[in-house]
Formats: sequence, structure tokens, C-alpha cells
Amino acid sequence: MKIKIKYYASFKEFTNKDEEFLDLEEGMTLAEIRNYVKDIYEKIGRQEQVLVALNGNFKPLDTVVTDGDILSFFPPVSGG
Amino acid sequence: MIKIQQEDFDINKLINRIRSCDSGCIVSFIGTVREHSRGKEVTRMSLEVYEELALSELKKITEEASEKYSLNGVDIVHRFGDLLVGDNIVYIGVSAGHREQGFGGCRYIIDELKKRVPIWKKEYTEDGEEWVEGEKIE
Repeated sequence: MKIKIKYYASFKEFTNKDEEFLDLEEGMTLAEIRNYVKDIYEKIGRQEQVLVALNGNFKPLDTVVTDGDILSFFPPVSGG
Repeated sequence: MIKIQQEDFDINKLINRIRSCDSGCIVSFIGTVREHSRGKEVTRMSLEVYEELALSELKKITEEASEKYSLNGVDIVHRFGDLLVGDNIVYIGVSAGHREQGFGGCRYIIDELKKRVPIWKKEYTEDGEEWVEGEKIE
């Protein structure tokens, strides 16, 4: 399956990318893809917390991702 | 009303917007850019937002606060982009029957916003630029 990954804040700098497409095995969960991304990018892997959203919403990490989904990765928030 | 915008906001207009005859109070919170942070002098700040998720989380927080504190009205405006020291960052205004509800509701909204809404600050100091570390969430 082909999914789109978007990066925000410091993660954009760690990856030097706003977004990218990944070809992954069918049936992977959010948690598995998060581990995959942490393995690719050492600086993301070293973060204490890596947040992930699926298609613009927070979902449980055991949610299965499907072809065409958009995942967003980002650090803990600091607005306000 | 929930808005995420680059431009500044007019506090007086916002306060008048939330005024209502069935409310005995209006409580507002305005977050601004501080000159000192973590022992360093801040020259400016930039804010990045993940707008789609930020809007949906702000809507959820507004609903939670309205129910928990019986609020009559809630307005939230959060800015993004480049800001200078002293600039407005965020406005939260609530109207309620009584002050306990107003203070409680406004406090709940800013506390939850700082934990859950995907907006990030980057501070610029004489030593360079640095992302402000957010609180780890459960």
C-alpha cells in the first residue's frame, strides 16, 4: 500500500521534508508505521514522544492503515 | 467561534462578541510573546500549526468545557506565523452565568490547548533558534 507521511515542527527539520510517500506492507498499524519511521530517521527515533495522527484525527495506535491514508508525525505540542 | 489565523485580533471586538444577556461574566485569556524564556532573551517567535487537527481538537475542547462548566459562549483565536515580543498569540473568551464557571472554563480550555492542540513555537534568541519543548501527553 502507498501512504503519505507529513512531518511537522522539529520533525520537518529532522527529515528535511514536509512530506513523503512510503510503500508499505498491507495491514500495518499506526504503531508499526511509527516504529518504521523512527528506524528511518534517527533523530525522530531518539525523541521521548512521537505523536501520530491518521487522516487529520488522533486514532488508537492499533488502528490498521489502508492504501491512500495520510499519516502525520509530530512532537508534543507547545502552542498557547 | 474558533479561528486559526496569521493576523492579529482586536480584543475589544472579541469581548463584545461574547457578551450575552444571560451571562453574568466574561472571562478572557490572552497569551503573548514573552521577552525571556529559559534564561535567554527572545527576539522573536514563529508558530507552526497543523490546521486540520488543531481545529478539530479546539472544537472538542470547546464542547468539553461548555458541558463541564455550563458556558454560554466560547471564542478561541490562535495565531501562527512570525511574531514579535509582546505580540498576541492566543485569545480565549468565555461567557457564563457565574464567575466560578467562567474562570474554570477558561482555565480548562487553555490547559487542554497546551496539551492537545498541534501548534508549535520556535523561539529566536541571541544563541540561535530553538523549538519550545511541549509537555509529554498520555
